[in-house]
Amino acid sequence: MTVPDLAPDAIPDMARPAEPLAPKVIKWAVTFGILIPFIWAVAGLEVSPSRMWAAPGQVWVLISGMFPPDFTEMGRLMTKLLESIYVAWIGTLIGAMFSFPAGFMAAANISPRWLVAPTRAILSAIRAFPELILAIIFIVPFGLGPFTGAMAIGLHSIGTLGKLTSEVIEGVDDGPLEAIGASGGTTMLRMRFGVVPQAMPNIVAYWLYRFEINVRASAVLGLVGAGGIGAEIVARLRFRGDWPKAGAALILTIVAVLVIDAASAAIRRRIITGQPSQSPISKWMTAITGSHRDPRLTADPS
Amino acid sequence: MTTFAEPQAQVRPPEPRTGRTVLLPFIAFAAALYVIGYAGEAGPVWGLLIGLSTFGLFWWIKVTRSFVDGIVLVVASTISYSMFNVVVASREIGVTSGLAFRAALPIAIIGIAAGWVTQRNSGGTRVSTIVISASAWAGGAYVALLTAVAVGVLDRVRPGQTTTQLLTFGLFIAVGVASGILGATTNVSFWLGKATPLAVGGGALVTILAWNEIGFSAYEIWVKLLNIGDFLGEFWPPQFTWPKSLGQPSSFNMGKALIETFQIAIVGATVGCFVAAPLSFMASRPTAPNAAVYWISKSFLNLVRTIPDLFWAVFFATAVGFGKPFAGALAMIMFSLAIMAKLLSETVDAIDLGPLEAARAAGATHGQVIARAAFPQVLPNFIAYGLYVFELNIRASVVIGFVGAGGIGRLLDERRQFFRWDEVMAIVLVIFAVVLVIEAVSIYARRRIA
Amino acid sequence: MSRIQFTGTTVTYPGGLTALKDVDLVIEEGEFVVIVGLSGAGKSTLLRSINGLVPVTGSVTVDGREVVGASNREIREIRSDVGMIFQTFNLVNRARVINNVLMGRLSMVPRWRSMFGLWPAHDKEIAMQSLERVGIVEKAYVRASDLSGGQQQRVGIARALAQEPKVILADEPVASLDPVTSHVVMRDLQRINRDLGITTIINLHFLDLARQYGQRLIGLKDGLLVFDGNIKDVDDDVFRGIYGRAITPDDLVEGRR
Repeated sequence: MTVPDLAPDAIPDMARPAEPLAPKVIKWAVTFGILIPFIWAVAGLEVSPSRMWAAPGQVWVLISGMFPPDFTEMGRLMTKLLESIYVAWIGTLIGAMFSFPAGFMAAANISPRWLVAPTRAILSAIRAFPELILAIIFIVPFGLGPFTGAMAIGLHSIGTLGKLTSEVIEGVDDGPLEAIGASGGTTMLRMRFGVVPQAMPNIVAYWLYRFEINVRASAVLGLVGAGGIGAEIVARLRFRGDWPKAGAALILTIVAVLVIDAASAAIRRRIITGQPSQSPISKWMTAITGSHRDPRLTADPS
Repeated sequence: MTTFAEPQAQVRPPEPRTGRTVLLPFIAFAAALYVIGYAGEAGPVWGLLIGLSTFGLFWWIKVTRSFVDGIVLVVASTISYSMFNVVVASREIGVTSGLAFRAALPIAIIGIAAGWVTQRNSGGTRVSTIVISASAWAGGAYVALLTAVAVGVLDRVRPGQTTTQLLTFGLFIAVGVASGILGATTNVSFWLGKATPLAVGGGALVTILAWNEIGFSAYEIWVKLLNIGDFLGEFWPPQFTWPKSLGQPSSFNMGKALIETFQIAIVGATVGCFVAAPLSFMASRPTAPNAAVYWISKSFLNLVRTIPDLFWAVFFATAVGFGKPFAGALAMIMFSLAIMAKLLSETVDAIDLGPLEAARAAGATHGQVIARAAFPQVLPNFIAYGLYVFELNIRASVVIGFVGAGGIGRLLDERRQFFRWDEVMAIVLVIFAVVLVIEAVSIYARRRIA
Repeated sequence: MSRIQFTGTTVTYPGGLTALKDVDLVIEEGEFVVIVGLSGAGKSTLLRSINGLVPVTGSVTVDGREVVGASNREIREIRSDVGMIFQTFNLVNRARVINNVLMGRLSMVPRWRSMFGLWPAHDKEIAMQSLERVGIVEKAYVRASDLSGGQQQRVGIARALAQEPKVILADEPVASLDPVTSHVVMRDLQRINRDLGITTIINLHFLDLARQYGQRLIGLKDGLLVFDGNIKDVDDDVFRGIYGRAITPDDLVEGRR
């Protein structure tokens, strides 16, 4: 048998290459690119060592001031918490409803160019406004209250969900689309039987994911008078004697968010994998750890 | 010549009952109920009729699974349900289509979502499962219609908002249970029986409760949109400069506030990301040193992630002093830590384990395995996530100023409290521009790295 | 003194699968040993019991040091003397070749230096020499993912050489390579064994390669040692015995062309 002699038995005489310069330069540029702004920022924020040193103690004072939490206003807190969840729910519904067609319009494999570009621009412009700022603007026409919060969250959700939906749609396998087109299907038929069946589980999973985020956001909107539990917490933190009540509100919020996250994660997992969790224990573990390996379950939280 | 085996005797399955013949009587029946209900005729016969029709409806859905019929049924019940709401609306607040929308559309969406929850579990094709679940919803909506009509009648006999609401809530719970019965009686898996009522019943219930609570109305939005000019006048034209000497506590100008926002974001992202890196390796299975460290770090990260950014800001502002940007920086550190650790630990979960084994086989310590074999694999992701976290930090640090944590948010809050909407508009526009620029830069940089 | 001694070595995985059953074996210093057997016969497990990457009971000694029950520090010391080469190369694809080779030096450099990648010049020199020995020093600053399969496996060999090992374990080193490159890699390993006197143990499933390059052949079947002898005494009947079936073209690297 003959094999080309690619590896001569002696060690070949081979010139060692010089270490290239570019990676080193990049390395140092990145290091300084992080370090210099950091030092500038730290200096600007007047973060003195003594304040850094004092911070953990101050945080501890606050935490110990919150415990034991005072649950005497439980009913009132629950009402506020529910209001926050309602606002998030309605906001998510608004977002889902309007982002669905918007997602199709922004998907380059479905829509014509002249429609994709402006839709994307609009969605991206909507996303640029945080919910809180939208809420401030909406207070003027709609007044104080949860309605304003739902509108703000809904509008912001249209922006984020629209982007995610269009990405899902762009990611579908175009084989079925081609097949439907080849058998004479119209654009509507291609969407209905080619795109929707493929994309829908992921899109619904994103709706649920957005709901989780919106619960956090709506808990916060109370600060500007848009309803919810946020205002309770802030108000209670103003006076030291109220700190246990703030602690109670905070704990309620965290528990609610954890429960909603766990439930939503379990549903999302089922939607995407089609498999129920194996056992109550594993479900519980999932709830505790929030671990999901499937990348589709962990959307970009923008 | 090739001879083929005798074909086995094949039995064609009987064609499922298309149901259109069944559907028509039901539509007629629904219409009849609707007309009678609207006319306000009530009596003991009602309960019997509702019960019979409900039973019949579920039976019908069980025997027919035709796509067209599903569509027809959905449309029919949506229309009839909307009509009911128009009736209620006309009675309560004058004629608007808002109420009709507000009742029918969200339930439709939830019904479709529920369909997808159950989609993978059915033995049938995707289309057939959609139809089943859509029918399940339609059945629910149909029952809702019937009961709501009954309630509407009761309400007229014995006026009282509370009765109506209570019955409506109970109704939607009933819808969930009924869907469960439906799921259990159709030949899909056992899980469909549980998931459907949870999704449909829970979703519908939450929606109705939320809608009631928030007082949402498409009508109101419509009216406000018609008068958009009125409130746009409040915001326009934006005032980019304003005098400081009006006795207001405005110690800020926009440039200074913006710089402070940037500083908060930089400190938060930098510290947060570098603290998150080792934590991510501890909270990821392939690189965790042992189970205890894994669970503890994972639980800690989940707890941090639960608390919204603004709460961190309130928390630290209370702890280290209101109005101090230092508090904002601390809040942003926790915010960045949570996001970075989540993204990075999920990336670490998916790394190639081969190099780790190679490093271990070469006698490396656990720390060395992570630093030389695991970290280089996720370094580009780390940088990309870092940029992304910085982008999020800019957005978030705009907002945290509201609770006394410094930055441009503080300025915004201040002007808002003076109802200077034109000045608010100016600040909002500046924030908008900054966020767009940062996002564009970040996306460009991330694309370069990837 | 014998280099590697297995005495009643058994490996049972956490799932309950016993992959290696009561193996007694002595491998002398400087030998070039080829292990054959069907997949699942325990070839990889046998190799990994030498450097303690699998849960092993019984006794395995390397150079007189016991692997079973060794502390973390002891097992790291044994591993630093045992280089390993993998079927899938196990390189950090995004890292440069030189950094992959330097991973072989991890047990010899101070920990803090390795963490920050501040390699001592001495270790860099050894890495360079290892690359020269396999003939790809010119690729030292190229990203590992930019190399061909054969080149990547030679980087893998260089990484093992950088450990200055007394033993090299090669787990199916050519299974992911085409026939020509397979011969090149096998010849590299043969030369290293000859020139440096490093004990070399290779898992192979290509019988013609085993016959062409091996000196001593070990056959495994269902976790049991079923053959141990000089390659010259091996004929097709022996392979049939080890494989429990007739030899097919798939068992020959030439058969894959």
